[in-house]
Amino acid sequence: MIKDYAQLSSMEIDTLREIGSIGTGNAATALSQMMNRPVSITLPEVRIMEYNEAIEWIGGPEEVTAGVLVKMSGDVGGIMLSVQKLELVNVVLSTMLGESIDSYENLTELERSAMIEIGNIMISTFINAMSGLADLDIKLTVPAFAVDMQGAILTVPMAEYGGMSNYLMAIGGNFVCDGKEVPCHLLLSPDLRSLEFLLRKLGVSDV
Amino acid sequence: MKTLQGEGVLITYALGSCIGLCFHDPRLRLGALLHIMLPLNMETGRTHPLKYADTGIKETLKALEAKGASRARMTVKIAGGAKMFEVSGGGGLGNIGQRNIESVHAILKRENLHLIGEHTGGTVARTLLFDVVSGQACIRSYGQKDIIF
Repeated sequence: MIKDYAQLSSMEIDTLREIGSIGTGNAATALSQMMNRPVSITLPEVRIMEYNEAIEWIGGPEEVTAGVLVKMSGDVGGIMLSVQKLELVNVVLSTMLGESIDSYENLTELERSAMIEIGNIMISTFINAMSGLADLDIKLTVPAFAVDMQGAILTVPMAEYGGMSNYLMAIGGNFVCDGKEVPCHLLLSPDLRSLEFLLRKLGVSDV
Repeated sequence: MKTLQGEGVLITYALGSCIGLCFHDPRLRLGALLHIMLPLNMETGRTHPLKYADTGIKETLKALEAKGASRARMTVKIAGGAKMFEVSGGGGLGNIGQRNIESVHAILKRENLHLIGEHTGGTVARTLLFDVVSGQACIRSYGQKDIIF
């Protein structure tokens, strides 16, 4: 029984990395279709890290960001969080709505729903890739949205599963669109039983 | 948990559903700032006592009393316990903040601690600053005026 992410073997971590690559690749394709222009992604970085480390990794606790969150249930339970940096949001907004924003303040309803949609696409393509690969049935809640300090946003999966583990899986990559590179961050925090189930389904768990 | 005596300001960043507790002994100019994440410690090994309201408050009191603080003089101010996301159909998700508030209240009462200031609940994250000399606390939030209490 896995008690902590720190106990994962290197083969298991490699498998999670692979899921991360495929998932973000699919997300780039989905974004590209939505905007009707090419979007590629740099090789994503997939890391298992501690929460405090994850907060530093995305830019410090007090920095304000937009977060889109869904809860997974079914074969895999857990939380997935997409952290929307302004650069990424602006690439989509300028293509779709012909406008850009310089802060998260005073968002219009349209800008807000565009942000939720970006997060939704990122998360659901990622989950689709993962469930397709491992033949899983995963249900997602309707995405929830918040603009606030990212330290507090990241605490949500942390508090939900913090009693069991201090680690989460962070996936980071850069989308390249019209010659511009914009960062994207996804955080996946499955409950540990689900993680074990996932790895067993993929045939890499030795338990 | 951080303690400080003499002068200075303690700070904890971006409290969402977490709660920040400022303990103050005015005579000793001694303060402690505790940041808890969950209401109750149910860990088997209890390797992270400061993460939980119950064991965190106990540890903090132990540290302060070791420095000569008196529980009768001590005052407490708390902030945090917000609900960051409204997830429809998410079950218990997002209620952690409320559970933290209730747990902290119950434990402070049980430990006979004097709660003199509180800014909890809501949907906005808070950064909490605490001056160990005056005992004054300040909350910084995104897009809002600072609150001093």
